[in-house]
Amino acid sequence: MLKPTRMTRVVIAGTKDLMESVISTFHDLNLLHITDYSEESETFKIGKPLKPASKMSEYLLSLRSISNQLGIIENESQGTSKTRELQSRMDEKISTLQKEVSSRFDEMRDLESRIKEKEDIVNSIKPFFGLPLSLESYSGYGSLKVYIGYIDNDLDPKLSKITNNYELFIGESEKRKIFALFIPTVFADEVQKLLQDERSYSELKVPGLKGNPPVVLEALSREISDLEQKYAKTKAELENIKKEYSEFIIAADEYLSIETQKAEVPLKFATSTNAFIIDGWIPTSKYDEMEKELQKNTGGLVHIVKNEEKANNEDIPVELENPTSAKPFELLIDTFATPKYTEIDPSAVLFITFPLFYGIMLGDVGYGIIVAAMAYFIKSKFKTGGLNSLALILFLSGILSTFFGFIFGEFFGFPIFNMEVHGEMEHGLLGIAGPAIASIHMPIHRFGEVQSLLLLTFAIGIIHILLGLILGFRNYYEDHGLKHAILAKGSWMMILIGGVLLIAKLMPAVTSKLPVPTGDPVFMVGAVLAIVGLILLIAGEGFISILEIPTILSNVLSYSRILAIGLSSAGIALVVNTLSMDLFIRPDGELLGGGIVLALVGVVILFIGHVINLLLGILGPGLHSLRLQYVEFFTKFYEGGGKKYVPFGYKRKYTED
Amino acid sequence: MVADAGMIAIGAGIAVGLCGIGAAMGEQAIGAAAVGAMAEDEKFFGKGLLMTVIPESIAIFGLVVALILLFVFNV
Repeated sequence: MLKPTRMTRVVIAGTKDLMESVISTFHDLNLLHITDYSEESETFKIGKPLKPASKMSEYLLSLRSISNQLGIIENESQGTSKTRELQSRMDEKISTLQKEVSSRFDEMRDLESRIKEKEDIVNSIKPFFGLPLSLESYSGYGSLKVYIGYIDNDLDPKLSKITNNYELFIGESEKRKIFALFIPTVFADEVQKLLQDERSYSELKVPGLKGNPPVVLEALSREISDLEQKYAKTKAELENIKKEYSEFIIAADEYLSIETQKAEVPLKFATSTNAFIIDGWIPTSKYDEMEKELQKNTGGLVHIVKNEEKANNEDIPVELENPTSAKPFELLIDTFATPKYTEIDPSAVLFITFPLFYGIMLGDVGYGIIVAAMAYFIKSKFKTGGLNSLALILFLSGILSTFFGFIFGEFFGFPIFNMEVHGEMEHGLLGIAGPAIASIHMPIHRFGEVQSLLLLTFAIGIIHILLGLILGFRNYYEDHGLKHAILAKGSWMMILIGGVLLIAKLMPAVTSKLPVPTGDPVFMVGAVLAIVGLILLIAGEGFISILEIPTILSNVLSYSRILAIGLSSAGIALVVNTLSMDLFIRPDGELLGGGIVLALVGVVILFIGHVINLLLGILGPGLHSLRLQYVEFFTKFYEGGGKKYVPFGYKRKYTED
Repeated sequence: MVADAGMIAIGAGIAVGLCGIGAAMGEQAIGAAAVGAMAEDEKFFGKGLLMTVIPESIAIFGLVVALILLFVFNV
């Protein structure tokens, strides 16, 4: 908690004949973060991949393309396969698969294009249904020219001006006039010109087929349905292959991924002609386990050096370490930046503050329960990964929203308890007065207590920022020593506390026009703190830092969003409720006074309004709570820029030895 | 006193309105850039969304001023 996992640097040296067993040992352990070797020298070069690497990656490539073509998706419920079995049948299985799948795939693509071709012909034949000729009679003349097309006007009068020696067929197709004109070739130029002048003319191409259009069409449709049957059959065959082989493909994919990973890892090693050196990091607590395993598997023939000396902090890989409950909040840290090895990991702080801010912002029993229920549902759907973490964060936030909903006395914007608003009693859903807890009378109505709630949010802000500065002080102390920590962070703490004391005493005096209470001890302490802090700040960072003073004020003011977001969400809920209740469901205080239809309109408004407000209520508080963490809190101490710990290894799911 | 209450309400409205416009001007530039970044890499969505709401503080300051006007001065 708060600190990343402690790491130890290990350097392993051995002869090359041991390399493979060392690699498999580390791969099975899944613990060592290997540092890339990059400074090549005379004796030590970057290692070469193990022999089977290229063959393995070839297999993997063809396997993945097959799996893509078949559309195979990972199946969590699948059992595991033995690696030895996989290994022995890999060659033959992949090549048969490749043959079967790709030939069928090609066939399907071929069938598809043939069907498309035939369908195009069918479309081009359809217009010729309007003409009483068979398809072959449109072509094959020596001295005749044939024009076919759509046209709106009558051609006869115009043609007769050219010649009387022609034959014109007219018909209708899809509500347009279609014609076929047979005319001696000598008149071709004139007719061409005539048709060009006709605006409505558009030419038709004759498909090179024989027979009456309806007969041809029937034959074509038969061919198409034959092709479609073939297509469906091939598809079914592929489906069968998919069913039969998907287990093998997934397992083989995993096996091959592991093997290529192993085969390519020497690229990170330093190797000479006969020896290799691996440099890396391992969690300190796992060192003994690693050493024992490695000595066992190599017969004690490799040399391990444990390097306790402090390396350059930036080179140490960072693995965040948190209790299970705070683990999901690492997601929020990773989204921002991985912390440096020496830095504080604030996940555990976020575990408290993020849901707290969210809860105060949303603060409604109804919305809170829905958010928590939705998060629970998502959590049970996605057992791992980012969505699972997000759902857990939302779940906690929903619970806290429900809790604050009780304190604020809100259920979908309706009051839960009876309370007085502007001197009038308003009846709550429960019909009872709120309980008093620790002499504070519930509910604390958010619209009624704006002033005190606003002060509360500022107080939360001051505490949160102070916490950030304390963490920053610690980080600076660790990295640069006490003096720098005081100059850089201590100064800000003094300015913040001093400023708060000053303003706390100044504000009442200003608003009631009293003289400034310079003699007040609290005022004095505040003034001294602020001035000392300012001097320290200038000493540490120069005069330019004065420009930064207002940011601390705006940082604190920024926390007013905790109230503001809540008020806007409660305001929208109130508007929706008032609209639907007073106007539709209970006009003039009478239930169903405007008839059942108006009441239904009211229900629709109520539903849509609350759905929209709920969506805003998930997004707004989430983003703003996060923003308070990232912008106001993190900037006080967090630098980030660490390297993530990525151990060499693989979590097997579908294979076993 | 009625006139005062009216002026206070108008003042509160102006505070929220102008701050809203200011925040929107900030957000439009950031939003456009965030969409551009997302076109390059979809993983930017979360960060982009977060960046886009950063100027919203200005709108919230406006709301706070309005609330103070309405609830503190409007006694």
